[in-house]
Amino acid sequence: MTGRAVDPTTEAVAAGEAGASQPAPDDYEVSLQPLSQMQLAWRRFRRHKLALVGSVLFGLMVLLAIFGPIIWPYDPLDIERVTKPGGNPPSPGEIFGTDSLGRSVFELVANGARLSVAIGVVTMLIATTTGIVVGALAGYFGGFVDSSLMRFVDLMLAIPFLFIVLVAARFFGSGDPLVLMLIFGVLSWPGLARLVRALFLSLREQEYVMAARAVGVGHLRIAFRHMLPNALGPIIVSATLLVANAIVLEAFVSFLNFGIRSSDISWGTALARSQGTLIQGNWWWPFFPGMAIAVTVIGINFMGDGIRDALDPRARA
Amino acid sequence: MLRFIIRRLLGIIPIFLGVIIVSFALMQMAPGGPEAAIQGQQRRLTNEQVDSWLARWCLQREDDLGALALEFGGWAGILNCRNQGSEMLFSEQGGLNFLPAFMGGGDNGLLHGDLGNSTNTGRSVQEMIGERVPGTLMLTITALVTWVSVAVAVGVYAAVRRYSLFDHGMTFFSYVFYSLPTFWLGLMLIFLFGPLLGWLPTGGVVNPRDWPAFGSPQFWSAAGERPLDAFLDIGRHLILPVTTLVAVNIAADSRFVRASMLDALGQDYVRTARAKGLATRVVVGKHAFRNALLPLVTNVALSLPFLFSGAVVTETIFSWPGMGRMFIEALGNRDYFLLMGILLVTSMIILLANLVADVVYGVVDPRIRYD
Repeated sequence: MTGRAVDPTTEAVAAGEAGASQPAPDDYEVSLQPLSQMQLAWRRFRRHKLALVGSVLFGLMVLLAIFGPIIWPYDPLDIERVTKPGGNPPSPGEIFGTDSLGRSVFELVANGARLSVAIGVVTMLIATTTGIVVGALAGYFGGFVDSSLMRFVDLMLAIPFLFIVLVAARFFGSGDPLVLMLIFGVLSWPGLARLVRALFLSLREQEYVMAARAVGVGHLRIAFRHMLPNALGPIIVSATLLVANAIVLEAFVSFLNFGIRSSDISWGTALARSQGTLIQGNWWWPFFPGMAIAVTVIGINFMGDGIRDALDPRARA
Repeated sequence: MLRFIIRRLLGIIPIFLGVIIVSFALMQMAPGGPEAAIQGQQRRLTNEQVDSWLARWCLQREDDLGALALEFGGWAGILNCRNQGSEMLFSEQGGLNFLPAFMGGGDNGLLHGDLGNSTNTGRSVQEMIGERVPGTLMLTITALVTWVSVAVAVGVYAAVRRYSLFDHGMTFFSYVFYSLPTFWLGLMLIFLFGPLLGWLPTGGVVNPRDWPAFGSPQFWSAAGERPLDAFLDIGRHLILPVTTLVAVNIAADSRFVRASMLDALGQDYVRTARAKGLATRVVVGKHAFRNALLPLVTNVALSLPFLFSGAVVTETIFSWPGMGRMFIEALGNRDYFLLMGILLVTSMIILLANLVADVVYGVVDPRIRYD
């Protein structure tokens, strides 16, 4: 966004030019610094109330992921006396209640944040990198490269995503979170690749690409240094959604016992442990880990919405 | 239009071939593979039975590329596993094996509609899938109808009463429901309406006290005698799974319908219709509504795969006897033939659904020309 020549339609540039053309007082000139595209985007993002709420929610979850296990370490042997068959309900001392053995559900949630958020973020990084490279190559070069890569993407999208993820998790997952991240990442890039390809197809026809080509800039440099920054808006939005999807996916796969080994704590394994307890009436055990997932996902979705509006160059600051 | 359909059908073929190869490769790469799965049953099977089963599907005990090719040929129905060497290309009838049986071909493998046998139960895969299809279709079709009608009703009403309390409430709830993990929502609904309130059944298709197991011949004959009771009981059992399945889709698509309805309401022809004095009901219901629905067709078609994925989640949680739950069970049992069969059938349904959506889109929007 920042590297590109300034777009003459934005207010800030217009204001900046006006400031430069008039013999204005010194302090007046200083106050009219042209804003970069990024600064404009940040200004729009700040004004988007839901986006701010979302960022705060997601930020809190990231903090919980980093510091939660340090402040409230999970000790499976720290057992409270259980007064009801399904575990103790939420109380002032134990705000999320306890599981059926008397262990704190709050500690489970606080410790599960680290793996769940990590899986979301790492999956997103793997999928986004792959998707950008594949989509950019297909969209930039077109022709044979494009059609072969896109047929492959079609194929990946024809098989229901969850089915293939479950097969891979069952047969190749060893219960290791790293393997699970790799499986999720490797399988979730095709949608993004298709998006990047579409963006590159239209960007390819822009004048600045022609100009770059005319002065002899290499193909890869054009694609990744000149075109990619201009396609970043929609990519970032899908990347945020990938984080949310991966967190939910981990929970479901672990819930079916095909995901992370149950001795590692994530929100998914916390839910998996609570299987079959609902009949006893202790709703709090599955409720709070699921609530943690829901709050994180709501936060990410709000943030994605805000970023979409903020990076839309047609929107005004 | 006909030419378009034929062209699209031809375009599906390479993708479907790819799906076949991917599902086969996935099962082969998996540790153990089908050979190990069947050999794991040896406690119940004699050595001869295992050998004859392996031979039936060209499954070799070696593990090299040649054995893999033979195995694929047998599964696909190109090779006849009863013969040896180059004779494998020919069927008992003497014709090339991949031809249909009435043209002198064989009777085994995918090309002849044979998806193999479950390594767990020994029954034929197409039969097992066939038993579960009614359950899945019942769930997904009810879900589809609910999804589209609720999303359209809510979206249109919110667009017509823009910025009203209803509109804001709907936006809020669609955000919330869009973010809820499906399976967790299902668990919470089970708790709420099951143990807590006791209003609705939380698992199965019919009440096991009143009916034989769903899908069995006894069930169908009993249901034939009391069709209304069966219908009502199934309906009660459908409420929670369908709610779970469609919550996310309704949340996403009601906002989508609202946006496209607002778009349509701002068009010139709507202003013209209002200006010439048509009733609001006609302007909204006829002029704007029909045009606003166009984008929804594509959107629904693109979301169909998610409906199937969602069915896996929902069927597992509500112990619903459908293909999704069978898939999870097959994963647990490493039932390779069954897994490959389910992957193929679901992918085929999705490819065809996309084709139907394209065609429907052409029918409802006369501006679209396919030549």
